[in-house]
Amino acid sequence: MDATLRHPPTGNPGAAALSGLRGAARDDGGFPERAGGGFNPGATAWAALALARAPGSSALAQRAAERLARAQQPDGRVAVAEGHAAAIWPTPLALLAWQATSSSPEQRERAERFLLAVSGTVSEVGENSVDKTIVGHDGTIPGWPWILGTHSWVEPTALAVLALRRAGRASHPRVQDGVRLLVNRQLSRGGWNYGNTTVYGTELVPQVDATGVALAALAGMIPAEAVAKSIALLENAMSEVRTPFSLAWGILGLSAWGRRPAGTATWVDESLALAGRYGGYGTTHLAMLLAAQDAGGTLSP
Amino acid sequence: MTRTKSWTRREFLSATAGGALLAAAGLGSWRWLRGRRVTEVFVAKASSYRADLAAIIVAGMRELGVMPAEVAGKRILIKPNLVEPRRGAEHINTHPAVVLGAAEAFLRLGAAGVVVGEGSGHCRDALMVLEESGLGEALRGQRLSFVDLNSDDWEDVPNAGGASGLASFALPLTLRRADWVVSVAKMKTHHWAGVTLSMKNLFGVLPGTLYGWPKNVLHRAGIHRCVADLHATVRPHFAIIDGIVGMEGDGPIMGAPKSAGVLLMGRDLPAVDATAARIMGVDPARIGYLHLATGGGDALATRAILQRGEPIAGVRKPFALVERIAAHQGLRL
Repeated sequence: MDATLRHPPTGNPGAAALSGLRGAARDDGGFPERAGGGFNPGATAWAALALARAPGSSALAQRAAERLARAQQPDGRVAVAEGHAAAIWPTPLALLAWQATSSSPEQRERAERFLLAVSGTVSEVGENSVDKTIVGHDGTIPGWPWILGTHSWVEPTALAVLALRRAGRASHPRVQDGVRLLVNRQLSRGGWNYGNTTVYGTELVPQVDATGVALAALAGMIPAEAVAKSIALLENAMSEVRTPFSLAWGILGLSAWGRRPAGTATWVDESLALAGRYGGYGTTHLAMLLAAQDAGGTLSP
Repeated sequence: MTRTKSWTRREFLSATAGGALLAAAGLGSWRWLRGRRVTEVFVAKASSYRADLAAIIVAGMRELGVMPAEVAGKRILIKPNLVEPRRGAEHINTHPAVVLGAAEAFLRLGAAGVVVGEGSGHCRDALMVLEESGLGEALRGQRLSFVDLNSDDWEDVPNAGGASGLASFALPLTLRRADWVVSVAKMKTHHWAGVTLSMKNLFGVLPGTLYGWPKNVLHRAGIHRCVADLHATVRPHFAIIDGIVGMEGDGPIMGAPKSAGVLLMGRDLPAVDATAARIMGVDPARIGYLHLATGGGDALATRAILQRGEPIAGVRKPFALVERIAAHQGLRL
């Protein structure tokens, strides 16, 4: 079965998406991003997350989780690929997948230890530093990077916070730092982008996907008033969003704050119907849309 | 990757004599004129995106000696500059009309196929960038496909430059399988690099899965050094710069639109970028990656670049620079 939906689904788009996702599983239990591709840790984690709560799919989710366990390195990281050990960003996604499938306790513990031990590079830029006139955020707060040896950014930090919270580490200083970082990177008008607030005094522009993942991570960790502008901004934007990555994170982020959009089911179906425009969606997009439909469970705090 | 052009003995000797692999990267487009080594850049006036851009590009390619026999049957990768999703902001991303014009030009010359690929630097959601920029609808109208290079499979290729210290680059298979790589960039100022043109546009070929969003691995290794190294490693075959509406001031995102009314093109990316910089009122010799890519010699001098089409003086439109931005200081011609 193909990893993509090559034609607009008919009838029940959600069922077609689930069928497409199930059929994308590789013989080794992992998932490719695209049909015929190799094992992809990020896509596999998203597939496990979606399938763990999908009817009749728990065995596939377990196999995906086991494949991720085999990809884990002794220090706990799950990297994008062999030879690219610094690309650690799939680690929190793998941890979320193991949590969702209630599997791999040893791997979970190793992943937690790894995440708590690593951070993005921190700068000497402080709240009162003159360099704040160049880059507006506080670069001294440790979060998580996409790639080891680089700075902390919004999505990898939010994913690590989400995974570590689910592991019962919400009060750990590193998780609290992660929350602090996300709050610091929130734009004054509301919302987040990839992780820069102002550069040379000009505020940058929020993005739907980054806003959704940050809100998902912060739910229950800070008062609602602290993110009120971001929630309002996202709610205003969602009616026009149909691309899978942004739509899914937008729904997941709002749902985490008890604001699941009324249009969720329709929007997800509409997004699935657009897959043919792009030659079909890959595993990550299909799995994220299914997870978004199940926003009450997949990534709830 | 299928490379249709091999190095001539003269090019090889020039490169080894110069002792700089970086400087050698663009040698395929140099020729000798009255004892001087020169390259050619074509500058065309284009007052709006409604102009027949394909015809302008075909004419420019003809002026530059790009013949149908050279393009026929080739697979072309067009790499636009798509940075962020911003509806209606035609000064941020390469305009869809320029991408379509370039695709049409290559197809008219007999290319076997054209694919458009980008690995957006600031946004995980490539489809959002594609749609908000207007390029998605434009490509669908012409049945052209788009590849998100951020999530493409890749091949690790040794760094042919050596300026950054990075041992290799992970190049997307879409790029490796292309016969011609064409950088279709935007004419913009840049608050870290001074200007972003066809060479800086190459950052977008690298997958975010391995370089991050933004591609912070490259920032850490040095923006100018990485641009030069990527140019040496990717060795793009052609560059087109959308200067119809560019960006001045605090580019590459937050600056203001600047109507320069030009399209530039050429085989030699440093020369194309140097010419674009001059049109912007920027001294190309002060752009770090141009200096690195040309070995610090006189390759950026006006006498080394044969201007085809419009003379620079006739289209010069100084772009606003920002005094407090360190990368802009001292750039003005």
